[in-house]
Amino acid sequence: MDFNGFKQIVIEKCAQLGIEEYELYYQSAASTSVSAFQHEINQFTGATEGGVCLRCIVDGKMGYASTEALTAQQAERIVEKAAENATVLESEEQVFLCEGGQTYIPLEEKKGAMPTTEEMINKVLATQEKLYAADPAVIDGCQTQGVAESCEIAIYNSKGLDLHSKTDLTGLVVVAVVTDGQEMANDYQIKLAQFDAIDADKLAAEAVRSAIAKLGGEVAPTGQYPVVFSPEAMSDLLQTYASVFSSRAAQKGLSKLAGKEGEKIASDAVTLVDDPFHPDAPMPRNFDAEGSPTYKKNLIENGVFKTLLYNLKTAAVDGRKTTGNASKAGYAGAVGISPFTLYLAAGELTEEQLLQKAGNGVYINSLGGLHAGANAVSGDFSLQSAGFMIENGRRTTAVKSFTVAGNFYELLQNITAVASNLELPGMAHFGSPSVLVEGLSIAGK
Amino acid sequence: MISREICKKVLQKAVSTGGDYAEIFAENTTKYNIAMIADKVDSISDAVIAGAAVRVYKGMRSVMASTVDTSEAGLLRCAEQAAEALGQGSAAMDIVLRERIFGDIHPIRTVPGSVGSKEKVEILKAGYFAAREYSNAITQVTGNLLDVDHNILVANTEELYTQDRQIRTWISLSAVAEINGETQTGSCNPGCRMGLEMFETVDPREVGIHAARQAVTMAGAGYCPAGVMPVAIDNGFGGVIFHEACGHSLEASSVAYGRSQFAGKLGQQIANEKVTAIDDGTIPNAWGSINIDDEGTPSRKNVLIENGVLKSYMIDKFNGRRMGMVSTGNARRESYAYTPTSRMTNTYIAPGTDRNEDIIASIEYGLYAKEMGGGSVNPVTGEFNFAVNEGYLIRNGKICEPVRGASLVGKGSEILRNIDMVGTQLDMGQGMCGSSSGSVPTNVGQPMIRVSSITVGGR
Repeated sequence: MDFNGFKQIVIEKCAQLGIEEYELYYQSAASTSVSAFQHEINQFTGATEGGVCLRCIVDGKMGYASTEALTAQQAERIVEKAAENATVLESEEQVFLCEGGQTYIPLEEKKGAMPTTEEMINKVLATQEKLYAADPAVIDGCQTQGVAESCEIAIYNSKGLDLHSKTDLTGLVVVAVVTDGQEMANDYQIKLAQFDAIDADKLAAEAVRSAIAKLGGEVAPTGQYPVVFSPEAMSDLLQTYASVFSSRAAQKGLSKLAGKEGEKIASDAVTLVDDPFHPDAPMPRNFDAEGSPTYKKNLIENGVFKTLLYNLKTAAVDGRKTTGNASKAGYAGAVGISPFTLYLAAGELTEEQLLQKAGNGVYINSLGGLHAGANAVSGDFSLQSAGFMIENGRRTTAVKSFTVAGNFYELLQNITAVASNLELPGMAHFGSPSVLVEGLSIAGK
Repeated sequence: MISREICKKVLQKAVSTGGDYAEIFAENTTKYNIAMIADKVDSISDAVIAGAAVRVYKGMRSVMASTVDTSEAGLLRCAEQAAEALGQGSAAMDIVLRERIFGDIHPIRTVPGSVGSKEKVEILKAGYFAAREYSNAITQVTGNLLDVDHNILVANTEELYTQDRQIRTWISLSAVAEINGETQTGSCNPGCRMGLEMFETVDPREVGIHAARQAVTMAGAGYCPAGVMPVAIDNGFGGVIFHEACGHSLEASSVAYGRSQFAGKLGQQIANEKVTAIDDGTIPNAWGSINIDDEGTPSRKNVLIENGVLKSYMIDKFNGRRMGMVSTGNARRESYAYTPTSRMTNTYIAPGTDRNEDIIASIEYGLYAKEMGGGSVNPVTGEFNFAVNEGYLIRNGKICEPVRGASLVGKGSEILRNIDMVGTQLDMGQGMCGSSSGSVPTNVGQPMIRVSSITVGGR
């Protein structure tokens, strides 16, 4: 049955069990993916997945249960299970459902239809050929993948909330594999946009150029250096440490930013923004995972810490309003907190001027093992890196297989300059220009 | 889950445009997770994951379509979508399905779904408060108890119709300690392919104490120095070094496409002759074990490297076609919504002959990595990294003060040659391994090893 039919059974079952406060969260995604290997399509995937999560308040506790099977039996099961699970909870924090009748910033209509399978295949095969044509160093192993996804979210609750959103995403992923006869190197590039708006030549050339640049690199020398992080590397760091801006983490002693609002936590050069409506974001959202309206906000303004990110529950704990940052990892997950598009605002310098300012140091354009080598609670990180040496203000030798170590909280204070080249790589959840950081530890040869 | 009759019709539809092989994978999974923070049971998630996927091959092409609608009509639509994506034309194949029961080598004595929440909360609390009460320096503890009941069905045009039930239980405790304003974390996350009887052999209190002890030790530690040095990596989760430095590069998903540092190297010496490495999905009740893989091939013990010589890759059916090799029973997927590919199960370096004390004594100045965190690798270049959660400096052959914030980086092909001492006491650690077919449970393992030279990232 469809979501509406399922919803009616849940409403009746809640009434029967005397459950007055509840919410249904429905998420469904239909995606198509086409991949090419060598000169032909080798994989095609059409996936539909999604499910419903019921949250209900029983004796002041929020019980959850969810299912992917939209059947009458499952509709009744999730009501019974959510109510039963609520009785096991002990947290005394007050729980809330979002009020209905609020005002939402309207989303701009995105133009253009989803590509047909044939259009996807043609674009993927054409792009794959551009990879091979870009340079004689290119070898088999290269891959081009086209992706088209439609995602639907609906939230309905007993307080009159009835929200629905549908967002489409299309894009290309290319992997270039190259060799110099001695070793191999690879690079991948993602471009999210309407297929006809993607410049396949540029995307392929960029992946091949970046892959070739990684060949024959040396190991960086061990020591303390000024470091320039590329937009991609700094975006990765922001993603890894986004949880320090969560009010829940702060309230539970898992972020050192607790109680620091109004204080200087970063250098003057740092302004950090969360924007649910950023034009580069493929899936803009005007309501969060609880249904609260979303808005653009500065987390750090010229180095001064302005606000943590909140949902309804954590806002009540701190006696303030939600910032509309409730999030869910999948439809079944507990409501948490996360930014929408979190980025470091652009500065004035060009990247060349930033390198000149650095003088002698290391330029890092790739970080690895962020899920393991970075600790969000202590802020410490020690991460696999690759990039270039900076000598007399210029990028010189390629370097790899070294680590950069430091502490995120200290790094915020030590960002001495921010360039103007703001980029939002990949899914555009995080973004940054190139930044110059003083005094990080490099471990290499 | 789905009858043989319906499977037959769906497979017939799937190959109706000329596919030479088709498969149905269906699942019905329940996941129940209890989470604690700030001394209270904070949230419970209780989810049913149910759906199916149809795959069709034609030569080197593979098409997959998945659906949450597992009714006969829903499955037929799914098969039709796959068949249409494969191409035009009409074809027919005689489909015969014989039910096979491979047997279950992982006995479950207490199915978690048959036990009430209260009993599970008691188990979690025992571990949680053991961590909390370990020291005054502990400022926060988070805990999770997860149980998964994963039921799968696989039917294919090679006459197979079979089902498997995979039950897993996992407890995870993380502690935060603060000493003189320095905050550090510790964690312990054991899991088994068992029911709640797992806690007869794994004491949740010891899990909590382990996490808390690590947090307190690290909060009192200075930063690890940076540089190239010898490292002794202890047993258990230390096996993540092989998983990252070599394991991923032996998966057919990299090898079949030439995207691996070890493609074309079968029979060659790729590691120190002290290294024998095995992937074995048949260890009873081990976290990464499976009776059958997600293509219905029985799991088996595969010797990957024997005395340093590359013996085998880990192969699934589809990538095996391109390699001209048969499946090794390593096809895995997080759920029906992912296209399966070759993945690790329980992967470990086999015991050697060196004594732990000799390994430590052999190092004049280096690092003793007692507990490892996660890592990652680029299989093309073999460049890998992983984090050291608990490390100590070694001076003059003796373990000295603890150091924090270390990570190890290197190139797989070089590091495998640098593993020049291998201990005798094999142990395993549990992890969730993320890759293109999603997140799957895997064991890593090894006895203590010495890496004669590796880059230690510190400050």
